[in-house]
Amino acid sequence: MEGHKDVLYGLYDDEDVLMDAITKAQKDHLDIHDVFTPFPVHGLDEVMGLSESRLHIAGFVYGALGTLTAFLFMSWVFTRDWPIIFGGKPYWSVPAFIPITFELTVLFSCVGMVVTYYTVCGMGPGADNPTLDDRITDDKFCIAFNVSNSSKDEIESLRGFLTKSGAEETNIKTI
Amino acid sequence: MNQFTFLGREKMVLMFFMALGAICLAATYFVEPATMVVMNHGHEETVSTHHMRFWSNFLQNAVFFLGMSFTAMFGYCAFITAYGGWFTGMKRLWEAYALWMGVGLVMMLVLIAGVWMHWHHLYHWNAHGITDINDPHYDEIIAGKAPFLNKYWYTFATLICVGVYVFITMRIRSLSIAEDSAQKGDYTFHNKMRNWMAAFLPWGAFTSAILIWQWMMSIDAHWYSTMYAWNVTASFFVGLLSMTVLMLIYLKSRGYFVYVTENHMHDIGKYLFGFSVFWTYTWFSQYMLIWYSNNGEETIYFLTRRDQYPILFYGNLIINFALPFLILIRNSSKRKFGTIGLVAGITFFGHWFDMFYLIKPGALINIAGSNDAATALGSVAGYALPGLLELGTFLGFTAMFIYFTFSKLSEAALAPTNDPYIGESVTHHVI
Repeated sequence: MEGHKDVLYGLYDDEDVLMDAITKAQKDHLDIHDVFTPFPVHGLDEVMGLSESRLHIAGFVYGALGTLTAFLFMSWVFTRDWPIIFGGKPYWSVPAFIPITFELTVLFSCVGMVVTYYTVCGMGPGADNPTLDDRITDDKFCIAFNVSNSSKDEIESLRGFLTKSGAEETNIKTI
Repeated sequence: MNQFTFLGREKMVLMFFMALGAICLAATYFVEPATMVVMNHGHEETVSTHHMRFWSNFLQNAVFFLGMSFTAMFGYCAFITAYGGWFTGMKRLWEAYALWMGVGLVMMLVLIAGVWMHWHHLYHWNAHGITDINDPHYDEIIAGKAPFLNKYWYTFATLICVGVYVFITMRIRSLSIAEDSAQKGDYTFHNKMRNWMAAFLPWGAFTSAILIWQWMMSIDAHWYSTMYAWNVTASFFVGLLSMTVLMLIYLKSRGYFVYVTENHMHDIGKYLFGFSVFWTYTWFSQYMLIWYSNNGEETIYFLTRRDQYPILFYGNLIINFALPFLILIRNSSKRKFGTIGLVAGITFFGHWFDMFYLIKPGALINIAGSNDAATALGSVAGYALPGLLELGTFLGFTAMFIYFTFSKLSEAALAPTNDPYIGESVTHHVI
């Protein structure tokens, strides 16, 4: 577990004000720790300069793994391990394998992506994820700065930035 | 630039390709030998080709472009009925495509006249004496299907179904243009359009299947599949989307449609990707059920195509499934005009190629008289693979379709400024 950190956060009422504030923070080279919103805001990751998620690459790899698993396993079973003739078809009857191959592709990529996502984000059963403010899950938008190692002046200037850019209230919380 | 101008240069190029197409199509009428020698039931027999190469080319292109314009109308209606707004910026393009159905109907009239006058022998069910039990050509299976496969119903269904499509399309087009000069905030035109569209959807959905069965599937009159119409409609729709992508890239390069951005392209790309997969799904469902049940009269259809036309059979799947699937699976490849343009080019040709695969093997069987006789012929020019004349015909029809689209685009403003959804379309944002 990481140690505790002090977080200064400002709460905004409106997503457009939030977006403007983030753009301004980027221009001032302020190091935003994270942004929280009650719903996905379009264009937010672009404004924050986040790189594209690589989750879908993982998804493709899991999917391909599922394809191979299903196809090779069935091929092995029906030609080597337990060959049975179904309906007068050859042992290795590829068309009959395709539906199951498809299903396993979907299954592997879904389950794999869920597990990866939860692991990378530190979520899932048993994980401790304190919320900065309960209202973030309801109607408030939040910009958070990590101020664990900041001086009083730095904290005050950040607080000033938050208020000036339209934050309704600012707080410091140790999480 | 809200008003499209059809440049003389474009007209020249398109005219050139139309002339090329006309020459190629006419050439297929004359280059095909008038007779072929086939082995039927162990003895040689001379059969007439009835200019089958010409007629099957004509049918293939007429149906492909008519189907594309039908799916343009169908998609347009489905989007509006479902309160979709993202495509509104480019709706004039789809309206222009949809109006092609009038031209397509004229082409079908030529084929209908051919059925009545016996100009062509595309349809075995139209052969003389085939439903007469006392005739030596009597075919029990076709006689059983005669209530559906006959020239009266062929003519009636084509005229009524496509006629209603054309009528509703023209109504919607005129309402859509009238809306441009309406007062701001006047939704009466939009609501009227919505009513027509709600009527078009069930009518189009049911009747398109009937038309596809009788225009294309009845070439192989002994065989049938209920999945066939779905498969072909998906093919038309992917062809339409590919055409839309290419056209938008071109028109944007000329400075039109500035409000159609990579976000809209992303959505069209998703449709292109999704319907390529849907096409494969219906293709495979149809194939696997027939392969598995292994009924002789059904399996022979796929057996012939797989063994005699391996390039058409497997090439179809590679061009229309593997390539678009693997290239478009990434988000960013749907947003880059170069990549999606490449895929659109591939799939546009690919679905025309699919039509070739659906029509030509059956047409050759109809010349030869039986499956075995056609198999014994081996690969015949114009049937085994699209030859240069087929490709020229394809270019000619494409040029004609584009010519028509451009002239319809120049008749109205490109941006429907009074459409209630235009704002939603302009601010459309995907990621």
